[in-house]
Amino acid sequence: MISSDVIRGYNDTMILYMLLDGESYGYEISKNIRRLSEEKYIMKETTLYSAFTRLEKNGYIDSFYLDETFGKRRTYYRITPQGLAYYRAKCEEWQVTQEVINKFIKEL
Amino acid sequence: MNLDTIVGYLNNMFASLPRTEQMHKLKQELLGNMEEKYHELKDDGKSENEAVGIVISEFGNIDELISELGIGEVRKEELVPMLTEMETEEFIAAKRRSGLLIGLGTGLLMVGAGLLILIASLGENGFMSSVFSEDAMSMIGLGFLLVLLVPAIAMFIYSGMQMEKYKYLESGFHLPYHLKADIQQRQSGFAATYMLSLITGVCLIVLSPIAIFVASAFGEESASYGVVVLLAIVAVAVFLFVYYGNIRGAYQMLLKTGDFSKEKKEEDRVIGAVASIVWPLVTCVFLVSGFVYDQWHINWIVFPVTGILFGVFSSAYNILKGKDAA
Repeated sequence: MISSDVIRGYNDTMILYMLLDGESYGYEISKNIRRLSEEKYIMKETTLYSAFTRLEKNGYIDSFYLDETFGKRRTYYRITPQGLAYYRAKCEEWQVTQEVINKFIKEL
Repeated sequence: MNLDTIVGYLNNMFASLPRTEQMHKLKQELLGNMEEKYHELKDDGKSENEAVGIVISEFGNIDELISELGIGEVRKEELVPMLTEMETEEFIAAKRRSGLLIGLGTGLLMVGAGLLILIASLGENGFMSSVFSEDAMSMIGLGFLLVLLVPAIAMFIYSGMQMEKYKYLESGFHLPYHLKADIQQRQSGFAATYMLSLITGVCLIVLSPIAIFVASAFGEESASYGVVVLLAIVAVAVFLFVYYGNIRGAYQMLLKTGDFSKEKKEEDRVIGAVASIVWPLVTCVFLVSGFVYDQWHINWIVFPVTGILFGVFSSAYNILKGKDAA
């Protein structure tokens, strides 16, 4: 399990990645993150929803309601063009970050 | 441990947050996710307890959401304090102490009244007549009553001052989920004790006139000694009412979160006020009718009558108010 401190700056990136292929909702996103990370990272409920709030405020995602089969209403999210641009920027940032950090990592 | 636990947990997490439309939606959204996760875990063969445990452990920290939503600056007045275990423990202990003091104070007053009658009747019957006149004996009795009045009043004032610092609870508070469950458990454990104290008190009061009958059997003059015993018995009963009533009040006060309604607060206050006003008042009526109108032979009836009325009143009041609240 990865500590949430290390990953904090990239929660938004992970969520945006999950929306690249189309709209999704809270639990599905967190479930997919868990699956893709091979159970090494579990995004907490509050982390997920504060990220949604922040991303929506910045215009990177937008939300809409969709009624489920058994009458339940769910909020779905989709990525916006600004969100896509932000995602690309974050990916570049990560490349650089990774390069830099890697210079300080060695096996002992 | 099931879905209700999750709902309770979430309610508790949101308890201190403003009740806006946005909050409500967010909460429903979170609940939907947690429910889905719970059902999936169950389908994977997890037990209910395990599933609830995992869902709650993966909830995270509500402060993270709060800071993102920027609730801090909005409507601060809606945020009422969240009580800690120490605060609730202190409150229950203070309430218990205050019950002890008020109960003892009220008891002292009645014992004082008893002493007054005792010493006055001793005087009447010629006890120590070589030293004190009958009037002097009455004055000594009155002196005792006044001497006991002072600590009693001190106890009332002191306990009032002690409870003053818990005044803030009246303007509302929140109780963390585990504390609420804990206090609920203690309250239901206490219910039997309270019932027993109430029944014992009412029985004592209803049976107290027996003291007069027994004393009367020894002759006309000894009837007033029976009155003294009667007052002592009533004092014990009133102590039971006040002391256990206060402990019960503490639990009720703390568990009132959620529906922190005016009527509920009133209910405790009304029954408490009735107990601590009616009994001294009845004692006054008893003393005046005895000393001024010399009605000792019948005026003791006020105690059993008040006892029964008090019992009827408090249970009827509880039932009626309970119905209103439901």
